Amino acid sequence: MNNKTDVVPDFIEKAVLWEKGSAFEDFSIGQIFEHHWGRTITEGDNALFTTLTLHYNPLYFNAEYARAHGHPGVVVAPMLVFNLVLGLTVEELSEGGGAFLGADNLTFHTSVYPGDTLTARSTVVDMRESKSRPDRGIVTWHTEGINQRGELVVDYRRANFKIKRKA
Amino acid sequence: MKSSLTGNDNYLENFHPGAIHRHARGKTVTELENVQITNMVMNTAQSHFNEDIMTRDPRKHRLVYGGVTASIAIGLAAEDTAENALAELSMDKIRFPASVFHGDTIYAFTEVLAVEDSPDRPDAGIVTFRHWGVNQNQIVVFEGERRVLIKRGSHWQDK
Repeated sequence: MNNKTDVVPDFIEKAVLWEKGSAFEDFSIGQIFEHHWGRTITEGDNALFTTLTLHYNPLYFNAEYARAHGHPGVVVAPMLVFNLVLGLTVEELSEGGGAFLGADNLTFHTSVYPGDTLTARSTVVDMRESKSRPDRGIVTWHTEGINQRGELVVDYRRANFKIKRKA
Repeated sequence: MKSSLTGNDNYLENFHPGAIHRHARGKTVTELENVQITNMVMNTAQSHFNEDIMTRDPRKHRLVYGGVTASIAIGLAAEDTAENALAELSMDKIRFPASVFHGDTIYAFTEVLAVEDSPDRPDAGIVTFRHWGVNQNQIVVFEGERRVLIKRGSHWQDK
């Protein structure tokens, strides 16, 4: 690790921050977000996630077993589907400070397979002031994860603290 | 498909409402789980992967992303409560009562809330679980409910 220098490079002084994330004031009830990027899930993602989280159901890592249960091959672990969809929403919804308070009414609607491409969209369903933290509010979103055929694969409600811009 | 690939003590008939189980293994959360999974799922919140910025935060260190905490807690419960599952149906009341940091160890506990017939699968039934993830100091770091379609041993065992 390098020590702090007295000579700060010129470009660092000149640089303007290209901001990411959002604040409480950026949301309004009913607002819809079609989130960025999308993500094609690979066999590697699924094998890594399932083994790192010790999720020992052979449907997710034994293709012969999955086929014997009516699937075309290994099934993507539903917890990975949830996390991938949530990940796609973070920059627009929760990045910029404020704890993840919880998720409710999560439904896994259909199986996801390696090679499927997921996108995410969210709707603001609730906004409240925080009783305990006047510098932030609580925003609740309904998020849907959709595959390449337009089918709903997962949906849930998520609530986060959001820091206020004018605290 | 041989039923010997999965356990014999975790079919539908083995779950009884009110039973509380302690799962056998714990897992210490490190960068391997937190940073890798956070980045793999493209969760862009840098409080999970920028140690430098967190040195200027009251919490001092990178936080484990709640999705990772939940996935490990449910994973620790999975051999017992998901190995003979046909499908994960739903989750509810997912909460993170305390922060998790690299080096913390998570253990999992499960209560069986309900056991029901499946409306469309005579060979399986639906179990509702409440799961807890607890750290090395017995502080609850995750809780949530989960409904799962689980094979009936009467239809699937020794086949």
